[in-house]
Amino acid sequence: MLLLQGALSGVLFGGVYSLMAVGLTLIFGVMRVVNFAHGDMMVWGMYLAFLLATGAGVDPYLAFVVCAAALFVLGFAVQRALVDRILAAPHEMQILLMLGVALVLENLALVAFGPEPTRVRSPLSEATIWLGPVFVDVARLVAFGVASALTLALYLFLFRTDLGRTMRAAADNTYGALVIGTDVRRVYAVAFGVGAACVGAAGALVAPILPFQPPTGLSLSVTSFNIVIIGGMGSLLGAFVGGLLVSVAESLGAVFLKPSLKELFSFSLLILILLVRPAGLFGRRAS
Amino acid sequence: MRWLGALAVLVLLALPAVLGSYATTILILVFFYGFLGQAWNIVGGYAGQLSVGHAAFVGIGGYTAAMLSLEWGITPWIGMFVGGALAAVLGAVIGYLGFRFGLRGFYFVLLTVAFAEICRIAVSNVDAVGGALGLYITFTGDPRQFQFQDGRVYYYIALALMLAATGVVALLERRRFGIYLAAIREDESAAEALGVDTFKYKMLAMVVSSFLTGLGGTFYAFYLFSLQPNAMFGIPLSVEIILRPIVGGAGTLLGPILGSFMLTPLGELSRLYFGQGGHHGLHLVAYGVLLIAVVLFLPQGAYPYLRRFFVGSRP
Amino acid sequence: MAKTRLSRRAFLRSTAAGAAVLGFPLPLRAQPKTFKIGAIHPVTGPLAEPGQACRLGAQMAADAINAAGGIKSKGGLKLELLLGDTQTKPENGRVEAERAVGQGAQMLLGSFDSGSTNSMVSVAQQKRVPLLVDIAAADPITANVAKSVKEGQQKVQYVYRNFPTGSSFGRNAVQYFTEIFKEASVSPKRVVLMHANDLFGTNQMRGFKAAWEAAKPSWEIVEIIPWPEPPSDLSTEVSRAKALKPDVLAPITRPASAQLLLPEIRKQRVELMGIVGPGSPGLYEAGQFAVLKEDLEYVMTSVPWPSFKNPRTLAVAEEYAKRTERETGRRRTFDTNSGYSYDAMFLIADILERAATLGDPDAIVEAMRKTRFAGGLMQYGGPILFNEIGDNPNAIATMIQILGQKPVAVWPKAAALQKFVFPRPKA
Repeated sequence: MLLLQGALSGVLFGGVYSLMAVGLTLIFGVMRVVNFAHGDMMVWGMYLAFLLATGAGVDPYLAFVVCAAALFVLGFAVQRALVDRILAAPHEMQILLMLGVALVLENLALVAFGPEPTRVRSPLSEATIWLGPVFVDVARLVAFGVASALTLALYLFLFRTDLGRTMRAAADNTYGALVIGTDVRRVYAVAFGVGAACVGAAGALVAPILPFQPPTGLSLSVTSFNIVIIGGMGSLLGAFVGGLLVSVAESLGAVFLKPSLKELFSFSLLILILLVRPAGLFGRRAS
Repeated sequence: MRWLGALAVLVLLALPAVLGSYATTILILVFFYGFLGQAWNIVGGYAGQLSVGHAAFVGIGGYTAAMLSLEWGITPWIGMFVGGALAAVLGAVIGYLGFRFGLRGFYFVLLTVAFAEICRIAVSNVDAVGGALGLYITFTGDPRQFQFQDGRVYYYIALALMLAATGVVALLERRRFGIYLAAIREDESAAEALGVDTFKYKMLAMVVSSFLTGLGGTFYAFYLFSLQPNAMFGIPLSVEIILRPIVGGAGTLLGPILGSFMLTPLGELSRLYFGQGGHHGLHLVAYGVLLIAVVLFLPQGAYPYLRRFFVGSRP
Repeated sequence: MAKTRLSRRAFLRSTAAGAAVLGFPLPLRAQPKTFKIGAIHPVTGPLAEPGQACRLGAQMAADAINAAGGIKSKGGLKLELLLGDTQTKPENGRVEAERAVGQGAQMLLGSFDSGSTNSMVSVAQQKRVPLLVDIAAADPITANVAKSVKEGQQKVQYVYRNFPTGSSFGRNAVQYFTEIFKEASVSPKRVVLMHANDLFGTNQMRGFKAAWEAAKPSWEIVEIIPWPEPPSDLSTEVSRAKALKPDVLAPITRPASAQLLLPEIRKQRVELMGIVGPGSPGLYEAGQFAVLKEDLEYVMTSVPWPSFKNPRTLAVAEEYAKRTERETGRRRTFDTNSGYSYDAMFLIADILERAATLGDPDAIVEAMRKTRFAGGLMQYGGPILFNEIGDNPNAIATMIQILGQKPVAVWPKAAALQKFVFPRPKA
């Protein structure tokens, strides 16, 4: 019974993890830039949802649209003002830049919102459904549903719209895209913006489930990196499935082991994937 | 240049006589992070294999020396090298897996992060090494226990560590080893095509780097008198280690030192000026802006610019 | 003095100090003489929340002491705090302590987090600057120094602590659990201990477990379930606890994990007589009520708590709430952290009043060792004094319970403002 409940909770919470990872994988897939400020951007999405909920009484399950829009602007701006200038720079400079952005975002949140952890309350997030002896947490069910929908929507965007096709073309072959007259800079900025918008939406949707405070960003980043590597960098389906896998692994880890060891599972899974299939489960190629 | 270097060392040797304890402490950290940065520089800078898991080596080194001292009374002067050796073993394992399986760029970054995190979680859960509570070292001021009543001794040890690591790197740089590493960083496939055993040289770089970093762990533990898994193995320390060499110029001999002389005091100054007001966190915002500015205005790190400034057009 | 902006004076002072330590002569001596104390806490980083509370508590106390005329036996000498931020990193405990000492601090106060506190200890012992630990529960901090003095490796102990240690926390909690069960005439048998696997949580768990093993009470700790702190999810942990059919759940949380744990217990409908923490932050702070609301009702925890029977405490608590609202926009509760830092400052004032001279650190230590101070706002088991290890054996915890969305002292009887509700009413 415990096993069943653990597996079920794990799958549903996987929706949360998938949501976290989708934006990261999109940005990486298009630009090959690993966004170390990912988790901190998500924390800003959470705080925006918090502001909308406490200030205007907007439920986070509606507010996520606003958060996505706000983060789109942030992502677009970060790309134009900063990332764009260092796309050709050595990897370590990209890392340094994003670490700097992360530090700024984290501590601006500290200045603006203070150090206490908080969570956004929504009537929906407090509900549960009982199926005999096991229970389903509605907030996680919603996160799971939205994660599936978001993955599908992004997929359609990338494969069925002109902008999406251009983006994929630019990702596959920057030079070729330039030759045929694509405004690669604009495509990149939009890609970063869309990735950040996913992060913002994820933040709002996760805010009723996960308590957050300014330093939360780091652990969100690390978990998201794990998921994206496991699923395959740049693969949307990979991010979705990777999220489920990591979550189920941690949940079952908490069933069988000392729960404080449960994160060992996700990191071990990561190392295993790196060695056996470095492109990730659904990735196309390594590096 | 050589005379300038000798003069700088002489000045550094003489400084504690005139400096206050706070300035001495800042310089200890400058040297210590300069040392760690130099150790990282071998694999991260020269060989271009970005490790963001170097805290694991600090942790292994520090915990080994501390456990040997607390449990068996073995002096940290010996424990330091045992710790360095164990760190080198871990470095070899990570390096073997990473290089044998051809993990490059961000894949290698994540591999190193994962190993460091696994170490952190494991140590947090093993009561025999203190678990999450950590280990606490008794302050005795006994030099045999790597402790000193006079803080200036730490200054000279940290300085010696930094200079020794720089000496090692200077030596490696001039030999074929250094040239091979540079070739690997610039274009690994080309280096391989020319017959360079890239695996061997990357492994060597990793082992030397992790050994030196492990030595630093003992200093860190016995300078701060406590060891906690989060502080010794955590990602924040790994990030601290890489910031300075990157800012100063990765893959250059003096980059890590220059970076440390820039970042450590600037971090302190921003805390001094912005840290007193009610807006807690503002000093770290300033620090973040500084890092961003470095990337935008010194995209190769500071050293190449400084060199051009001093040396002018001479080769 | 509101510290919302960097005032010109603070700027000049830090510039001057910075210049002074770097060796530039500046006319510093013009200021009136003050007694400088390095007050070092983690005001940024993961422990920023309690660290900021500590800093504000210490500042308010120093302001109050100065407003009342400073140290009277020393000609009305005023206290001046040199504020330090450890950023929740051990190395900065040392750096900030060295800076404070370099700027003329004659005493140190800090630092909440046991790691950075221990690195301050080395500065205190090296530089002979008395350190009063306002908060930090790891036993070795004082015990190690006492040991090296006893073995003759150090001459004088400069480190004293006015806060319960992990082991005394544990003894308090086991005693209160047993007494409350008895008083309520119920006999819960199965207690499941759940804890954050961080420094504080592990320390509390070990203290509680050791005290339970020593006391052999009628109830049993059936399992200990640790979680990684901060956790992203606790549903499986709670399912595990539920499967053990506990009568009482004993959590050691942090504010973030409490926000996950309590709703999860409700959602999974764990049948319990009560949730009783053996020493757990996150169950009583103002911010937690906004998030957890009714999930906190009837929750108990054993925690160092202000004595609200004391009218002075009520006044200070009100001032603290107002000041936090003015400076940060949120009313915060005067509780464990702000309270112990507040008391520490008054304790320092008492020590300075009694010290023969302030020029000699050993004279300050001498006065410290003779402390019998009853002016604290926290609930103590007697006057503040220091035993041979340098700890205050009268620093005790109080069992509080959330009743009507407010934390109320309920045990021991001497401290209780209301009768506890246990077992909790069925929902």
